[in-house]
Amino acid sequence: MIYFALAKGRLADESAELLRKCGVDTSVLREDTRKLVLTSADGKYGFFLVKPTDVPTYVEAGVADVGIAGKDTLMEQDKDLYEMLDLRLGECRLCLAGYPDRKDALTNPHLRVATKYVNTAKKVFSERGEDVEIIHLNGSIELAPVTGLADVIFDIVQTGSTLKANGLAVLEDVFDHITARLVVNKVSLKTKAAEILPLIGKLREVVS
Amino acid sequence: MTYRKLPAGVQDVLPNECRALTDIKERLQRRFLSCGFRPVLSAALEYYDTYSEISNRIAQERMFKLTDTDGKLLVLRPDPTLAISRIAATKLEETQTRLFYFADKWDMQNAGGIYNREIFQAGVECLGEEGAFSDAQAVAFAVECLRETGLTGFIVDIGHVGYFKGILEECGLSDEDAETVRRYINAKDVLNAERVLRRAGAGEDTLNTLLALPSLFGGAEVLDRAEALTENACARGAIAHLKKVYSLLVGMGYEDCVSFDLGTVKRLSYYSGMVFSGLVKDLGAEVLGGGRYDNLADDFGKHIPAIGFAMGLKRILIALERQGRLPAFPRPDLAIVCEAGAEAEGYREYLRLLGEGKSVMLFAESGKEALSRAKEKAAKVYLAGKKGLKEV
Repeated sequence: MIYFALAKGRLADESAELLRKCGVDTSVLREDTRKLVLTSADGKYGFFLVKPTDVPTYVEAGVADVGIAGKDTLMEQDKDLYEMLDLRLGECRLCLAGYPDRKDALTNPHLRVATKYVNTAKKVFSERGEDVEIIHLNGSIELAPVTGLADVIFDIVQTGSTLKANGLAVLEDVFDHITARLVVNKVSLKTKAAEILPLIGKLREVVS
Repeated sequence: MTYRKLPAGVQDVLPNECRALTDIKERLQRRFLSCGFRPVLSAALEYYDTYSEISNRIAQERMFKLTDTDGKLLVLRPDPTLAISRIAATKLEETQTRLFYFADKWDMQNAGGIYNREIFQAGVECLGEEGAFSDAQAVAFAVECLRETGLTGFIVDIGHVGYFKGILEECGLSDEDAETVRRYINAKDVLNAERVLRRAGAGEDTLNTLLALPSLFGGAEVLDRAEALTENACARGAIAHLKKVYSLLVGMGYEDCVSFDLGTVKRLSYYSGMVFSGLVKDLGAEVLGGGRYDNLADDFGKHIPAIGFAMGLKRILIALERQGRLPAFPRPDLAIVCEAGAEAEGYREYLRLLGEGKSVMLFAESGKEALSRAKEKAAKVYLAGKKGLKEV
């Protein structure tokens, strides 16, 4: 039996569809249920629906063998797992954004950066040798420069419409091609190879 | 109320677990001793400089640091293998010896669960030996040790850093880029590996070989696939070596216990040849890890080719528990409760029974309550009086 950790929400539907195309019986995922652990009708697959940022944790611990998580989450958490495949879902970019007319925003010696991605932001700025103050937020990041809490934000940008609506703009693309990735537990890949490898093969065909 | 609590990432080992741990430790120790390994225990405190000024530096943020009375920085044993390497190079007369240890390894960055900050390890180091038979013996011994703990359904997954090193040579990457690529390849993250390699200007051929690395795992057929991918002498040498090791392992009867993964690329500056990990289906992280580290002692002034491995005993306990194979422990055979005034007689009987090889508990209290507690603790209960023992 293979256990999947799937992110709840939009990505869950897209992931389920992808798995269905690979011959995984995902009908159980469409049922309206409050159950947290779901098992496919053929008993071959188990699914945990978890918060997107928790997917790497489940997979690293080996509680789930396989997971689907965003590259942004994977970078931020830097867990010890195998990142096997780019599923090309939910593409976005990780950007620095702020007021376009404040040209000094990125060179301010005491730059305040609001972000959900604290570890990634720290890494980016320390690689550049810049000291910045990182402000950890959990949502509505765009509000930070608008209210003066921060000078810039470091966040994912898909269409940029939220930024635009608030008079903000992308100042720099830091990472592009942030998409959903298939991650696999390091031990499961070897000990459950007979089940996992064919699935990865099929997924690779479907996404390419 | 922090005085009643523990800091993150460390655990008390309570009696039931500790009993199982001690049992596994004893079994491993018997095995080590009977195979000619000698025990060694490195000091728990060492100088920070020992680990920060060598070429295989341990990251500052991973070490627990203390300050000595003279202001020098100390660390809590961050790596038993490096410590033993230091001992072998600076204190041992013989350069060829097989050693074992049971020791805590401290890693400040781990957060808890199976990634504890205090890691109780059992390990062996075979110093002063090289060649395919030495490597094959190390893998075989790893299998035997895992068997000794009672685990089933495990494999030892074998790789070789030389294959990656050889292919990397062709790219002419800086040490820093090479380390970055190694981390990506080790995580089977082909996308990021490709990004770094392209930026560094790696040729199309090397790029394709390197990017194939993460998929080079499975049975021994992987070795043929890997060989066909490269002309590099170092890489081909690594494969030739693994083939020799494998054929020895087949002859020694370990064919079914091993698999290969050339995409497992452990720290390059530390490991110099074959590397391996013990994997169990019931646990998401390796229970055993090791490899060949021929140049590790160079920093301490002597060249000592060596191979070794360490087992995480806590992880092995968790895996055993999940397999339903934790050792069971019988209650003591006997318990003795003394009548008031008959303590000396009771104690003498206690010694006599112990001398017969029985396991015996002697209670400090007398009376009914003590008797009923004794019945819970031991299979048989004796009441000791002036005239001797009476079963109750």
